[in-house]
Amino acid sequence: MANKGWDEFEIGAMLRTFNGKIDDIVGTHQENRAYSENSSFVASVADWRINKPVFNKDFCIDCQFCWVYCPDVSIISRDKKMIGVDMDHCKGCGVCVEVCPTNPKSLLMFPEKADEETELAAWPAKNEEKK
Amino acid sequence: MLEIRWHSRAGQGAVTGAKGLADVISTTGKHVQAFAFYGSAKRGAAMMAFNRVDDKVIMNHEKYMEPDFVFVIDPALVFTSDVTVNHKENTIYIITTHMSTEELVASQPKLAGKKVYTVDCIKIAQETIGRAIPNTPMLGAFMKISGMYDIEFFKESMKRILGKLPQKIIDANMLAIQRAFDEVK
Amino acid sequence: MAFDKMELQKIEVWDGNRAAAQALRQSQVDVVAAYPITPSTPIVEGYAKFLADGYIEGEYVMVESEHAAMSGCVGAAAAGGRVATATSSQGFALMVEVLYQASGMRLPIVLNVANRALAAPLNVNGDHSDMYLGRDSGWIQLDAFCPQDVYDLNFIAFKVSEDHDVRLPCMVHQDGFMTSHTAQGVHTLTDDEAYGFIGEYKPMNDMLDFEHPVTHGVQTEEDWHFEHKARQHNDLMVKVIPKIQAAFDDFEKLSGRKYNMVESYDMSDADICVVCMGTSVETAREVATEMRAKGIKAGVVGIRVIRPIPFFEIAEALKGVKAIAALDRSSPNGAAGMLFNEIAGCLFNTDTKALLSGYVYGLGGRDLTKAHLVSLFTELQKNVDAGKVTTPLQQFIGVRGPKLSFL
Ligand code: SF4
Ligand code: SF4
Repeated sequence: MANKGWDEFEIGAMLRTFNGKIDDIVGTHQENRAYSENSSFVASVADWRINKPVFNKDFCIDCQFCWVYCPDVSIISRDKKMIGVDMDHCKGCGVCVEVCPTNPKSLLMFPEKADEETELAAWPAKNEEKK
Repeated sequence: MLEIRWHSRAGQGAVTGAKGLADVISTTGKHVQAFAFYGSAKRGAAMMAFNRVDDKVIMNHEKYMEPDFVFVIDPALVFTSDVTVNHKENTIYIITTHMSTEELVASQPKLAGKKVYTVDCIKIAQETIGRAIPNTPMLGAFMKISGMYDIEFFKESMKRILGKLPQKIIDANMLAIQRAFDEVK
Repeated sequence: MAFDKMELQKIEVWDGNRAAAQALRQSQVDVVAAYPITPSTPIVEGYAKFLADGYIEGEYVMVESEHAAMSGCVGAAAAGGRVATATSSQGFALMVEVLYQASGMRLPIVLNVANRALAAPLNVNGDHSDMYLGRDSGWIQLDAFCPQDVYDLNFIAFKVSEDHDVRLPCMVHQDGFMTSHTAQGVHTLTDDEAYGFIGEYKPMNDMLDFEHPVTHGVQTEEDWHFEHKARQHNDLMVKVIPKIQAAFDDFEKLSGRKYNMVESYDMSDADICVVCMGTSVETAREVATEMRAKGIKAGVVGIRVIRPIPFFEIAEALKGVKAIAALDRSSPNGAAGMLFNEIAGCLFNTDTKALLSGYVYGLGGRDLTKAHLVSLFTELQKNVDAGKVTTPLQQFIGVRGPKLSFL
């Protein structure tokens, strides 16, 4: 947000989430909402990441655990299907990987610089020992 | 300026009495004030309430008062507290007691030579209202001694003030006021 | 409307608490969140009873502390309701943290304060310690001298506080017991007149406006905090006084009763005067009149608006006076009194070179008698005659023991 002077903002410790009037916010996907500059949605925390989650849809059972647990609402789910990670808002905490129940996991953490295609190609196999 | 000090026990209705009196007087176009000393008074503790009446707006908020009238609505307070404190030459006392005025003055020498009237508000309240709430009878006695208002006018006014109470209680209060008016000596 | 109206007599004999409760009823307050405390209890009790009896359409929220009471008020005000509560003393002290939230969040809340001493030692009686505790909290503070003022100032409070150019919470102060429990004649407004004066509540940035979602009570750090506080101070300094004046003017048209930022009595030709607040103003007026009968030109200045301080109005009211006594009903605990300091600040750069002396009085409800005021005025006259302050600058009135004075 621009560094406005004391007389340039609305009074009160108050911020608006959206520009102008909204309706059917529940029926509108985040990327289509008119978030204001005050909303954290317009800010990126991508540069906080040291490790990043990579999603492998081949093993995913769409249980939505990752969507529920992600502290930054960065799991993109459409029609109850996990479709990927919002890499502008994911801070790389690894919680989603921790809660993913599949074997092998459908989400794994890799260094930020890692190449996604390479990692997907080398995805670990099912771990037979762990039940 | 007419100033009245009530000596009472917390719970005997001195504040209600003082406010009721102020309410009646206010309807006649005079300016009134009614207040009390509370402290953290518990039920039964000695306390004082006050009335001021004047033709002009009352701006004096000091608690100090040299009263024209002193009302004592609990019989023991004449002995356990000084009801003559800050008195004037011509302060008039109306005191609740089962004693006659002579007996009372004899047993409390501080009252000697003062204008003292007595009435048994406790007994009157018990026999009419059924509870020892001596505040309204005291006002009946005050009407007699002060001649402030016609007793019928006063009773009508009190009826309005007691308005929310059950009719039986209002009637009993009217009886109490009248009896004290008749019996004060 | 789904509530009953009440027929009032032209003059009702009400104490300050009753007057405040009736004003809350007539203002049709939507939410009162309260934790009762002596001597303000009958205010919120009165609201609750009016509500239960069908005279108000609103919500009474019983909470577990004064901190929660003001928090509830903050929530309700942010949601978009007309909100009020009442407190005193320790309760006020417990509210302080949230008082700053309310004003910083620019929420119009009306807080009736029946002023009472602060412990220790514990004391339920009236002084201005709690009022003074709130004076940097960013609220507007109005002071009533009698029950009539309490009634009238509540309407002024809602009107100013809810104004979209102001949006700052407002306290209405009255002396605990000396006003809160003293019944006097109060000229009433009809329900329609009173409600018509303050008008329908006009929401602003309310959380219940789902088409314009807002976040209230955000965090700012070094980057933004100063700008927010500066904005709030600016609005208190620049916008509030004219709005209060406009409300006073409108109220005078409606009721015939005239209020001023600074109330001056017998001041046009006064040589000496006392400056004070609360019921003391009225007692001092009576004594000033008596002093004049003795040939002493005495006057009284009562501070009606404590925050924002009417800086220039105070200087104007004291213009040309020769000796001033500033009466503080709160222990300054290691300083000159608040009024002493404020008045000194107001006058320092003006041509009024009056002899200013301070007095601390009435702590814990100690009576300020007419006799005290007579000797005070006499002392001021002595100062005028001597051409200097003949006493120490700070004196205690009415305290037992050896005379106590400082500075
Ligand atoms: S790594 Fe953390 S922030 Fe990123 S998607 Fe997974 S849970 Fe969300
Ligand atoms: S937790 Fe794993 S299996 Fe479940 S939806 Fe997310 S990625 Fe798919």
